[in-house]
Amino acid sequence: MASSQPVKPPLAGQPAQAQRGSQTGLKYPSSGKTIYNRPLNRSRTQELSQASFAYLFGEMVSYAQKRVTGIQDLEKRLNVQGHPIGLKLLDLLLYREPTRSQTRPLNIIALLQFITTALWRHLFSRPADALEKSSNPETPDEYMISDNEPLVNQYISVPKEMNQLNCAAFVAGIVEGVCDGAGFPARVTAHSVGKGEEGELWPGKTVFLVKFQPEVVEREAYLGKS
Amino acid sequence: MSSFYILQISFPTVDTPQICTVVYALIIINKAGGLVYQRDFTEGLNKLSVNDYLVLAGTFHGVHAITTRLNPLHPPNEPPSGIEVMETEHFRLQCFQTLTGTKFLLFTEPFQPNTDKIVARIYELYADYVMKNPFYSLEMPIRSEGWERRLVREMRVLNSR
Amino acid sequence: MSAAKAARQGEETKIDKVNAELVTLTYGTIVAQLCKDYESDYVEVNKQLDKMGYNIGLRLIEDYLAKSGTMRRCANFKETAEMIAKVGFKIFLNISPTISNWTTDSKQFSLIFDENPLADFVELPDDGRAQEELWFSNIFCGVLRGALEMVQMQVEAHFTSDVLRGQESTEMRVTLIRYIDDEMPVDDE
Repeated sequence: MASSQPVKPPLAGQPAQAQRGSQTGLKYPSSGKTIYNRPLNRSRTQELSQASFAYLFGEMVSYAQKRVTGIQDLEKRLNVQGHPIGLKLLDLLLYREPTRSQTRPLNIIALLQFITTALWRHLFSRPADALEKSSNPETPDEYMISDNEPLVNQYISVPKEMNQLNCAAFVAGIVEGVCDGAGFPARVTAHSVGKGEEGELWPGKTVFLVKFQPEVVEREAYLGKS
Repeated sequence: MSSFYILQISFPTVDTPQICTVVYALIIINKAGGLVYQRDFTEGLNKLSVNDYLVLAGTFHGVHAITTRLNPLHPPNEPPSGIEVMETEHFRLQCFQTLTGTKFLLFTEPFQPNTDKIVARIYELYADYVMKNPFYSLEMPIRSEGWERRLVREMRVLNSR
Repeated sequence: MSAAKAARQGEETKIDKVNAELVTLTYGTIVAQLCKDYESDYVEVNKQLDKMGYNIGLRLIEDYLAKSGTMRRCANFKETAEMIAKVGFKIFLNISPTISNWTTDSKQFSLIFDENPLADFVELPDDGRAQEELWFSNIFCGVLRGALEMVQMQVEAHFTSDVLRGQESTEMRVTLIRYIDDEMPVDDE
């Protein structure tokens, strides 16, 4: 991901360009138009047409589809493409929090709340629809984030023969990137659940299953005791 | 629109046509004259076989092409649009051809108002839910569930007025 | 205006909006993936981006026509350039590149991008080659080629400079090769 780096605020008080220029072989325009001169918050609330996202995402899916053998493989690839975005957004969104809450999440619940509110709001302009912990005692490491209508899937109709596919695997990758970046390594997958009665209302309903690595749950239990 | 053709075709009427507004059906023809979509929005319509629909699409495509050359005057600045409306006593056919060559054929009650607006709205749905779907192959039959769902919902709302 | 409020308003207007950074980051991850898949063969990456753009253009044109309510063809290539810069780029990327450097036959012009949302946050890889070989926003060229082909215009488009390469401006050159349909009006020059 060397080609898009959202999280490199210039060092305070330093002429960023000169400093960078002496370290790298990159050329910069004399106008000083570099990412280091650009206020990091400038595009915080800027908007673009959803169409531009839809076309890019559609091409990402089509391109990935040509290079994979099965649905799982395709979802994995979309996940991998979302992952670096999550890593970067974690830092970027924390940086934009008010100073006193700029600390990174320290437990699973705080992390998941950050994801379902700050991350969701930033990407999709609304919070996620639900956050639940697995009620199964066998899987205390699993959490579920629900989105009734994932924005990334708005224009996508998966053909019947591929009905296992959920392109929101891309969003799962973003979530996974945030978890990994925050020190809570996890595996995140997207599952379509808009079937049956509920499907009438939310045919695209998706559950993001967040499965934390055993050491995360272990650490949490240990910290909870002390 | 520079050229606007109205073909008046008479069909024998048995009883007085009732004044109500209904969108009957939609047909989409690709730029090569192939049928890519056909859908009824009300019950009890005349059904054609799949093959007949294909023939109908191809034939209409050809007739449409001929009507672009009917103008006895010198062609105006822009190319003639061909058939845009066909009115009969029982139904009205609105044909909208996009600048990319796709044709939307909307069959309605003869008194259905705003058919041009309805077709424009259908075109928007098509641009969103057909063209933005990465699993749709261009010029091929449309089988996008999202498009189907929204189209039927909007036409149902129109028909229930 | 808050993003949420703006989004609500966006729902009421014809054009749905999303956070600009989602688009920027998504494009970034696409280019990065191509660089990985083609092992930093930037010439090949440029080609792939152009191809993706072409696929997008073939589809995007319908949205452009539907949402802008365009019912007639442009009278000439100058008008086409205006529509691309002031309507097309405006609808999809909320920018209006400047049109300049027309050739005397009115078949070739430049688009100068003062802003480029796709390239916000971007610095090219510092490997001594990317700034010489990669056209980061090359997808635009394909989009124009694909979209205009659907309305019977064959064009060629390529970047001639990019601030990401350390150059002073970002400029794309667009050339009309021909009108595909015989019925097209003759370009009044």
